[in-house]
Amino acid sequence: MVEQHLPVVQTAGLCKTFLDFWRRPRVEAVKDLNLEIRPGEVFGLLGPNGSGKTTTIKMLLGLLYPTRGRISLFGKSPSDVSVKSRIGFLPEESYLYRFLVAHETLDYYGRLFRLPARVRKDRADRLLDMVGLRHEAKRPIGEYSKGMARRIGLAQALINDPEFLILDEPTSGLDPIGAKQIKDVIRALGRKGKTILLSSHMLADVEDVCDRVTILYGGQQRAIGEVGELLRQRDITQITAPSLSPQTLEQIKQLISRLEERDILEVANPRVKLEDFFLKIVEEAQAANIRTSGARESGAVPDFLEKSTEASPYTVVDALVDAASHQTETIVPVEPVSRKVADAEPERQVIEELVAGGDSRAEKAVANPTSPPLTENPHHDEAESPSPKVTADQSVLDALMGDGRDGDSTNHDEKP
Amino acid sequence: MSKTWAIARLMIAEGLRMKIALVFLVLIAAVLLGLPFATRGESSLTDAVQSFMSFGLSATALLLSMLTIFMSRSLSDELVSQQIFLTMTKPIPRWQYVLGKWVGMMVLNLAFLSVSALTIYGMVRYIKATHPPSDARYDEKKLANEVLVARAAITATLPDFTEDAELEFQRNVEEGRYANVPADFDLEAEKKSLRTKHEMKWRVVGPGNGRVFEFENILCKRAPDAYVQLRYKAEVTGYPPDEIFRAYWEFGDPFKNVSVYSTATRHVVGRYHTIRIPTSAIADDNTLQVRFFNQNRFKGERQWGNVIEFRRSDPVEILFTVGSFEWNMVRLLSLIMFKLMFLGAVALLCTTVFSFPVACLASFTVYVLAGMRSFITESVAMNSKTFSGMFESITQFVVQSFMHIYNLLHWIIPDFGRYDAVEQFVAGRNVGLAWVLQGFGDLVLIKTVVILGLAMLLFHRREVAEVSF
Repeated sequence: MVEQHLPVVQTAGLCKTFLDFWRRPRVEAVKDLNLEIRPGEVFGLLGPNGSGKTTTIKMLLGLLYPTRGRISLFGKSPSDVSVKSRIGFLPEESYLYRFLVAHETLDYYGRLFRLPARVRKDRADRLLDMVGLRHEAKRPIGEYSKGMARRIGLAQALINDPEFLILDEPTSGLDPIGAKQIKDVIRALGRKGKTILLSSHMLADVEDVCDRVTILYGGQQRAIGEVGELLRQRDITQITAPSLSPQTLEQIKQLISRLEERDILEVANPRVKLEDFFLKIVEEAQAANIRTSGARESGAVPDFLEKSTEASPYTVVDALVDAASHQTETIVPVEPVSRKVADAEPERQVIEELVAGGDSRAEKAVANPTSPPLTENPHHDEAESPSPKVTADQSVLDALMGDGRDGDSTNHDEKP
Repeated sequence: MSKTWAIARLMIAEGLRMKIALVFLVLIAAVLLGLPFATRGESSLTDAVQSFMSFGLSATALLLSMLTIFMSRSLSDELVSQQIFLTMTKPIPRWQYVLGKWVGMMVLNLAFLSVSALTIYGMVRYIKATHPPSDARYDEKKLANEVLVARAAITATLPDFTEDAELEFQRNVEEGRYANVPADFDLEAEKKSLRTKHEMKWRVVGPGNGRVFEFENILCKRAPDAYVQLRYKAEVTGYPPDEIFRAYWEFGDPFKNVSVYSTATRHVVGRYHTIRIPTSAIADDNTLQVRFFNQNRFKGERQWGNVIEFRRSDPVEILFTVGSFEWNMVRLLSLIMFKLMFLGAVALLCTTVFSFPVACLASFTVYVLAGMRSFITESVAMNSKTFSGMFESITQFVVQSFMHIYNLLHWIIPDFGRYDAVEQFVAGRNVGLAWVLQGFGDLVLIKTVVILGLAMLLFHRREVAEVSF
């Protein structure tokens, strides 16, 4: 079943140079980009501002034409209108019509897909439910906050139940609840087999949801691979344990010093992420029915997306097989840019540079994304004193020693 | 076409919800509702209604033209604000997007034009009902017969002056008048000039003299109480314009089986006058003979003060009703709409290439050029004769260059003046269906389709994510 792996997106030697008024090269936005996005994967496009992410997306969507190189979407040219019926797109800004209300907005985009009126209405209602704006459906978009408009942007991207979803900075301008909802939706769609291209410089977002990422810098691809592989730090081991007494900690330190002949870098109590703390407070407020004119939590993926996506891995594959059988000659043969971690080492400096640019990124690079990081706690005493479990658990120590003896560190970097 | 209609619906919603439509409605309301009060000073009901309709329709056409150009901003706004990204990433061909914008603009134009026309129609009724009733009965009849009606016009068939011109030319040759003319002397132009001279002579009627006007193809409804109208304007050399002249008229060819009517008139010179003629004066072959006699006194050497002249610019006409005022108005509005269709296509073409300020300027230039085309054509023709040789100066070079550019644009920029029917309509003249169909063919089927096609092609090729300047 080779056809099942036929990429949704394939670019070969993709270049984009912007010209000035006199047709002289002004900016080389994308240089020789070779990209392959496989069916059913959540692919992250990472890079700092001006790295060429949005230009790449615009070329994929046919909004810009490549200066050189080739693009194929589902085996066809991006300018092919039939391809666009399989795509959903959320741009980096909410380019919506301010004079339309939310329902009219979704109805308008539904009409462009020639959806019957009943289907348009049904989907619009469900999507508005999903993004938590059903109660604001009659307000003009111009009156919406940026985050609310962003949610409508996501809703319009899903109106056609797309096979391939392109999300450009999807969490930009959203409050943590909205960001979480969008990430939940991306995860849900990913689980259902949708192919998703996520462009962002919000590294946490990409790390949370993406299967594979590529990092662009200066219009060039600097790294590509699976998230877990790229972020794994093989020279550091993280151990997660219930709260330990100072005596136990001291013993552990001594044990590790003796066995490994190296000191522990740091020992600290974990902190919950601010995002989780914030979400907890808001959930409590919502539980208390406190009024808001903003978005309300829903996040439930509408039935029409669920239903269609149950079969979507096969539908997508089948479609690709069909496309391939008809379009084999038109697909550009490109070399996949899959690299092993070792190959990615020269790019690590770039990754570190990127990682260091954000808040708490150093912590995230070390820690398991789902586990609290082992950072130095500035309120060490307060955090330690109320701990009820101060006795060391011998089994934990045994396990530690056993692991140490085997010299096989637990892989904490793998995505759950 | 459902996608095209989706774009058109969006355009309509934008037009109605954004301030541009509101501003237009306020302006049109100010003009149309304010004009009747401005025309109260007119001497008669007919004049008041004609002034109102003339200004009202011209103002409506002008405001709608401006509105059409400004509505094209929708496309360039979507490009600049990048709203177009979402639409262009949906499965809609670009040509349908451009077509949808144009259809939306035209639906709005049609709606605004209809509202304006209904307002004008209503205001005419209002003026009629509220005009001061001085000599009201006669005035109302005049209004009904000469303004609120669609009349066909037949001009008098002139005699053939070629023979007279040829005779005079031969006489001149025999007398040796052309003996010393230059080698490139145009004999044909001379003969044409002589024909014109004889026609001018024919148009002048001295005291005590008469003139016969023959009219053909008067295809009017015949009935005992039916009339046709003779419309004419006479000038008297050297007299103040309000001077009265006396004339005697006979209607009907006495050698054909028709009734012959006569009347004596004392009319003011330099103004149009209408005489009603029973249709029984018209012969079975649809011809009508009108004989005119100058009843002014002969004053010897001072006779020129009483010489009547029927100028070529003001031909003597027979008018007869061929349709209703309402349908005439519909045909007039159609011609206005065709111009708006062309202008909308031009505005969209410009916005697919340029940013809005530049596109607006370019569209407005085309509008002005189309409005002045007959004047420009005459100027160009005149200059082409003046500077037909080698370039003698920079001015000549500029003029010649302009002419070449003009010739290129000439076929695509229509002559709006050719389809300007407001004057006809206000005078109660029929805006003929043939005229309307010609306008449709020229303005819509040819020029609008070509311009719109070009706009679609350019838009198809452009990168929508690249902002134009």
